[in-house]
Amino acid sequence: MSDVQPTVTVDARDLACPGPLTNLIKVYRKAKNGDIIEVLATDVGFKNDVQAWVNRTGNELISLTEEQGIIRALIRVTAKR
Amino acid sequence: MPKKILVIGGGDGGTILANRLAKKLTKDEAEILVIDKSDLHWYQPGFLFVAVGEASKEDITKPRARLYRRGVKFIQDEVTAIDLDDRKVRLKEGGSETYDYLVIATGSIQDYSDIPGFKEAVYHMWTFEDAQKLHSQLMRFNGGKLVVGVGGLTYKCPVAPLEIAFLADEFLRIRGVREKTEIKYISPLDRPYPPRLLNKIMMENMRERGIEPITYFTVDEIDPVKKEVRSMEGESLKYDLLILTPPHKGADVIINSGIGDDEGWIPVDRYFLNVKGYDDAFAIGDATALPTPKTGVVAHFQAATVSDNIVYEIRGLSKRTMFDGQSFCLIEMGRGVASAQVSNYHYKDAPGLIPSRILHLAKLAMNKIYWTCILGGNI
Repeated sequence: MSDVQPTVTVDARDLACPGPLTNLIKVYRKAKNGDIIEVLATDVGFKNDVQAWVNRTGNELISLTEEQGIIRALIRVTAKR
Repeated sequence: MPKKILVIGGGDGGTILANRLAKKLTKDEAEILVIDKSDLHWYQPGFLFVAVGEASKEDITKPRARLYRRGVKFIQDEVTAIDLDDRKVRLKEGGSETYDYLVIATGSIQDYSDIPGFKEAVYHMWTFEDAQKLHSQLMRFNGGKLVVGVGGLTYKCPVAPLEIAFLADEFLRIRGVREKTEIKYISPLDRPYPPRLLNKIMMENMRERGIEPITYFTVDEIDPVKKEVRSMEGESLKYDLLILTPPHKGADVIINSGIGDDEGWIPVDRYFLNVKGYDDAFAIGDATALPTPKTGVVAHFQAATVSDNIVYEIRGLSKRTMFDGQSFCLIEMGRGVASAQVSNYHYKDAPGLIPSRILHLAKLAMNKIYWTCILGGNI
């Protein structure tokens, strides 16, 4: 677990694909560089989706963990223009 | 005393719900009121066909007052405030209405404010007027760069951007300008169509028709002068014609009444659709914050659940029905074929149906039976 405090949390538990990524993108639109976005998800595909999204957008994936079926991604926004 | 059931919004969800109630309840059991600011009912899937010149206003509208069963009273007015604690709504023309049961079916509205340039540059078919303008553009287009796809999140009808991509391709072929046209389909996700299994079929069809998918392209801003659309991921695309989904939010009355989330979607129980914290107020259709597609079919199924449960409660029965998140989308693909996607809360990788003539005919049949069977609350 990371002790980094999120600026905003996206609770996407129980959402099927593409719900978690869609909600992440909606929050990302309003985020600023330096913000920390926490995403909670239960869709198993989200692990791959969020890694691909971070690689593609150039933001930083601080951590990606799974505990009792809940995937937690912590993303540092670094790529906003 | 009859119970007073107030329905805000006379779109497909509100209309189906009111008619189902009127079909089952007597006037001694219930007084049913529907309030909507417009006297015209639109069949919104028809906007796609307006955009390609295959439907007119007469095909996709009817006067709202003619659509209700005996026992439903229609009031043409606008609700400006909803007070769930006092069981009361305020009307624009003055006065208010109280209720024993409230059903909020206020739908969604377009909100371009997050994307600079969107209003000036984008054509789409999410209203009749916009569909007409898009049709004019497709008629006038003589080749060049056509960029089509997802413009903003959240939007109504997940399959609509793919449908217009396929139909625009077909339309421009018929007009003889397709060979001079480059079509790119943009999506903020890693694939054009979210459900993974049907996406494979969509990709094959796009490849065959020469539609290039551009993924991880989240529209950030549009420069209508340079005719350039830029993404949050740092890419830009030139266009001559830009067709994108407009972002949507909940109705103003939901935001102003403080009963929605920050986008104006109403949190409800995912199975019984009551507004969280209330057992006498429900929301259906686009208005809810549920993770279901914002489509007419979802509103239809939710209307059935809520109307049945209100009937059971009024009659003192303990029986209840549950909404399982079910959706069914017929996806028009041009060339006389359509595909389909079924989903619900539980099947996360539900397969779609391969493109076929029969599904295309089902889509055309839906344009007719919507008026005759569905709105009346018969099915």
